[in-house]
Amino acid sequence: MNSNLIDQAADAPIPAVHCTSVDLCDHCGLPAPPRQNRELTFCCSGCQGAYHLIHQWGLDDYYALRDRLLESQAAAPVSDKLSSATSWDDLDKAGLLGASTPKAMEDGLVCSRLAIDGVHCGACVWLIERVATLCPGWQDARVGMHDHSIEVTYDPKVTKLSEIAGQLSKIGYRVFPWVEGTNAARFRQENRQRLVQIAIAGFCAMNAMWIAIAIYAGEYSGIAESHITLLRSAGVLLGMVSAFVPGKPFFTGAWAAIRTRTPHMDLPIALGVGVGAVAGVVSLLTQHADVYFDSVAVLVFFLLVGRWIQFRQQHRAADAVSLLMRMTPSLAIRVGVDGTQNKVPTSSLCVGDMYYVMAGECVPVDGRIVEGATSIDRSLMTGESVPASLSSGDEIEAGALNLRSPITAVATATREQSRITKLMKLVEDASLKRTPIVQLADAIAARFVLILLGLAVLTIAIWWRVDPMLAASHTVALLIVACPCALALATPLAIAVTLGRAAKRKLLIRSGETLERLSQVGTVWFDKTGTLTIGRPQVITNDLSNDLLALCASLESQSTHPLARAIVDAAVHRSISLYPLESVTEVEQRNGGGIRGLVAGRHVAVGNVEFVSKSVLSLDASIIARVANIASEGQTPVLVAIDGEAVSVLGIGDALRSDARSTVMALKERGWNVGILSGDHPTTVQAIVKQLDLSDSFAQGGLSPEQKLEVIEQSKQVGKAIVMVGDGVNDAAALAAADVGIAIRGGAEASLHAAPIYLASGELCGVVSLIDASKATVRVIRRNFRVSLGYNTLAITLAVCGIISPLIAAILMPISSLTILSLTLSSKTFRGTSGASS
Amino acid sequence: MSVIFVALPVALIMGAAAAWACVRCISAGQFDDLQSPPVRILMDEKPNRSLQARGSDDYVSTPD
Repeated sequence: MNSNLIDQAADAPIPAVHCTSVDLCDHCGLPAPPRQNRELTFCCSGCQGAYHLIHQWGLDDYYALRDRLLESQAAAPVSDKLSSATSWDDLDKAGLLGASTPKAMEDGLVCSRLAIDGVHCGACVWLIERVATLCPGWQDARVGMHDHSIEVTYDPKVTKLSEIAGQLSKIGYRVFPWVEGTNAARFRQENRQRLVQIAIAGFCAMNAMWIAIAIYAGEYSGIAESHITLLRSAGVLLGMVSAFVPGKPFFTGAWAAIRTRTPHMDLPIALGVGVGAVAGVVSLLTQHADVYFDSVAVLVFFLLVGRWIQFRQQHRAADAVSLLMRMTPSLAIRVGVDGTQNKVPTSSLCVGDMYYVMAGECVPVDGRIVEGATSIDRSLMTGESVPASLSSGDEIEAGALNLRSPITAVATATREQSRITKLMKLVEDASLKRTPIVQLADAIAARFVLILLGLAVLTIAIWWRVDPMLAASHTVALLIVACPCALALATPLAIAVTLGRAAKRKLLIRSGETLERLSQVGTVWFDKTGTLTIGRPQVITNDLSNDLLALCASLESQSTHPLARAIVDAAVHRSISLYPLESVTEVEQRNGGGIRGLVAGRHVAVGNVEFVSKSVLSLDASIIARVANIASEGQTPVLVAIDGEAVSVLGIGDALRSDARSTVMALKERGWNVGILSGDHPTTVQAIVKQLDLSDSFAQGGLSPEQKLEVIEQSKQVGKAIVMVGDGVNDAAALAAADVGIAIRGGAEASLHAAPIYLASGELCGVVSLIDASKATVRVIRRNFRVSLGYNTLAITLAVCGIISPLIAAILMPISSLTILSLTLSSKTFRGTSGASS
Repeated sequence: MSVIFVALPVALIMGAAAAWACVRCISAGQFDDLQSPPVRILMDEKPNRSLQARGSDDYVSTPD
């Protein structure tokens, strides 16, 4: 496995880590402290625990199995923001489990179905199901990799669900109550229905083929009339079954296309299959013309398989995304009148209820703080990158993240009335209004049918003078051989291949149609916070020496302020060791000001101008100028004074992602317009615009979610492809309205809902590789069209000239489909795309 | 060659029976998950010694 991860580790933008050789954790393969004397090494104590647990259980085969299977894995995304140190006790409260409530089975056992996160490949399945048999009371586990579910059977007298969840979390898997998505049941049903159709069509096609071979062989070597009648009857029977049982969707599709006057690929298919089936029966009864039953059956089979492959690929992406949605907590802590705390479903909170929000958790409903002071990260809702310091009396919104300390608040709205719910409604409306993309195949299908019907009339007209019977037979042959099997396969296969390859690169595409939109040139709108930038404060301007930075960071490690954490992070990045806790004394903090204290005997003060100026005798003009300079770049200036002398100014801001610049450049090279839609302050946006060399007319700051939606709607008027890339709730409506919405890893549930594409890798350059890949896909589709139209032209010409026979048709049809299949599989989509791997 | 009047229907009926069985399996959900069953084959190859040695009563072999 490790070659992958070594690559990743080497790519990671950590220039300051002074590690001569990187050792990898023996459990998870991430970089870990160097090993000594060939000992085991682990990146964290969690991995160490998991390793020893697995070892103790004698399950070391897991590692061997995993290494073998990792090649074929498409890792499921794990959201960083949603992870929290959960206690699993919630799982024992029946009222909170919903669909996961344990069901009683025989022998006093109970069975519960949960959602599970972290299952990447077969080795995980193996490990989990083995562990199940080893834990007392836990009888059985069945992991469903396709929908990330786990079914556990256990003895409630011996163990509890929370203990099982605890065991699973020890080995690195997290479980959540199962939420049955509306799509999941529908998908299961449709998947089974399609498979049943394929099974029947396959049976008909294979048997029709050997019967056809018998007939052709008989024609060469001579065959009794009664035998050929028997073979033909059986063949026509199979053809009829194939056309009208598994082939039924083509007829309903064609009928819908006629009724709504929207041409569709089903139309020419239904025409060919229908004519073939009817002509087969007629010619069997009159013992006159050729029958094409094998062509019809094989056609239906191929088409169903092609469509099923596309259907599956799309849903694999959708499954991975719906797992993420399941992980969002829907619980809140209600505080009773007597101060008791109870976990309740968020939807049961009423206006006036008191609720408690722990540090690191999301606010469940809109409310007003009544106790406690903290900083709140509203970036998900507003796009503002700097956390707000709030205290008693301030309003908080559902979806905001509590960063620092626990607070108690009173609800001012229910879940339904909260702003976030209203935004979700907006998202729904926007996605309903989205104009459907007319696929190239359907546009061709319309013309194809017209030309075909014209040719049919022509054939009748030409041959009528020769022989009316012959005219009918040739026209039937024309309509059957022209049935665009390869044409109809071209799009679903090409899209399925791209979707599969994209998923391996952690780009999850839920709607294949978007690829055609992405292949055109248009405008890409980026959200700023969390999309172009990392989404949390970082020290950007820093000219402190390592010694001085160590002093600052040691002092700041006493504070939990987000800016303080940024300074500590900067020191960690440079691998500077901080002073021990004891040597930091006389610490004095002021909210919204800064921090001062004695570090290793030196007076250090870090904070804003007003705060630090009290610790120094005078402020240099050069320092003042640098403060103004840094502020104009959209960063927060932080002064550093040591022993009463202002030595430097740090600039803290939301740094650009390492690949933001290259992504924007690559997009421009490809002729796209690039713009920013941000909810953050316009000056911050301007600074980013300058860094990325964007034009001012394409950058807008201070936008509300509704305004973002408006901008997208307006730019859609131009008619070019509009792509929106974003991560937050505030982008969700815009994501849904855009022609192609791309959500990026770390984003909120709402944006996942709204966007048909999800970048699980969290890398912006995924946008570029997607665009390249969709261009390649469209090229493949076009090439497939040309090839299959070539085959069709050949077949049609033969049919019009009256020299086609069922044998030629039977050979031409599979060959054209196989050509399409091999052309598609050998396509170079995603291979050697720039930016994808670099 | 008149055996074909018996052989052909028999062949078709046998094929249809297989197709019917396949359809039953699909409807029962056997084809819902195409990823984990291939791994499950690898599982019950060797009994877990470490636990049996400990004499745990809770060791239950899964019958699949």
